[in-house]
Amino acid sequence: MLELVPKPQFSVVVPPKLLQEGYLVYFTGGWPSTHDAIREKLFRIEVCNQVPYDRPYIIPTGDYRDVDFSNGSGTFQEGTYPENQNTLFETLIGFKPGAFISHWYVPAGKSVHQLEYAQMYPDITDVNLRYLGARMAKDSPYEDPRIKLYFVKDLAPVIMRLYCLAGVDFEKVVAGLTINKCHMREVPNPTDDQMLKAKVIRYYDELRW
Amino acid sequence: MPSLVVTAHTTAVSVAADRADAVAIPTSMTIDNEGGAADRVIRIQDIFTPSVTNGVAGPVETTVDRFRITAIVGDIITLSEEDLKGVKCLGALVVIGDAIDADCHISVGYKHE
Repeated sequence: MLELVPKPQFSVVVPPKLLQEGYLVYFTGGWPSTHDAIREKLFRIEVCNQVPYDRPYIIPTGDYRDVDFSNGSGTFQEGTYPENQNTLFETLIGFKPGAFISHWYVPAGKSVHQLEYAQMYPDITDVNLRYLGARMAKDSPYEDPRIKLYFVKDLAPVIMRLYCLAGVDFEKVVAGLTINKCHMREVPNPTDDQMLKAKVIRYYDELRW
Repeated sequence: MPSLVVTAHTTAVSVAADRADAVAIPTSMTIDNEGGAADRVIRIQDIFTPSVTNGVAGPVETTVDRFRITAIVGDIITLSEEDLKGVKCLGALVVIGDAIDADCHISVGYKHE
């Protein structure tokens, strides 16, 4: 049998998950004045380097562990922030399956996922509010991570609160991090076209209105 | 998948070491007690040190029994992955018996996940 496979009528191009060399990033005016070096500025990514880093945490049932991604020597600090002003860390986080949930705070004690009604604030001590804004392993699997964070120098601490659900004595949470180290150079007078193409990076406060 | 043969001992015998990035899951277990001295109780234990949490500032090494079976003298017991379903070791996977018996052989297959 001889067959000529017809040309496809269209194809789908899936964009890369991580920032690549030559990509443009723009930091909005929502960034606080302490980040003047990047605030309302456009940067071109010059070099990228992906660094994988697995972090395990064994947590007893009903207890939680705060994982602080900022730099420092504290027990809960992971030291995964950049130290240079012209570096951006784009971090993907995926989880191996387990009986746990994660809550997100920037800075400590300030949830990213509250609703508008005053009482609708994530609270792991409450049987219902424990699940408000909670991310589970299936939301961002280890093999296909979907939680993405952007870290710059001196960013307020981003906290991931891991809570072990009932039904197990202990749970081992394995968080797989892929830290995409991006070296940036400022584009001094960006054109409209460059601004349109740029990946917009908002400050965490812009998620809370 | 790796496997290891050990003999029954009252001190925990290591089968799979603790691996930070994974849990150890037994996939098969055969207890050959055909030539053993007596009936044997065999347990799979999980040995790990929990992380520092907001509730526990100084965690200590913890041992948890994950599986227990009695092998009658003169018998060979074979357990498949289905039989061991749900057994998961967060730290080191070890095997321990109720007596020292060099003629009671335990073969454990396992994987890290």
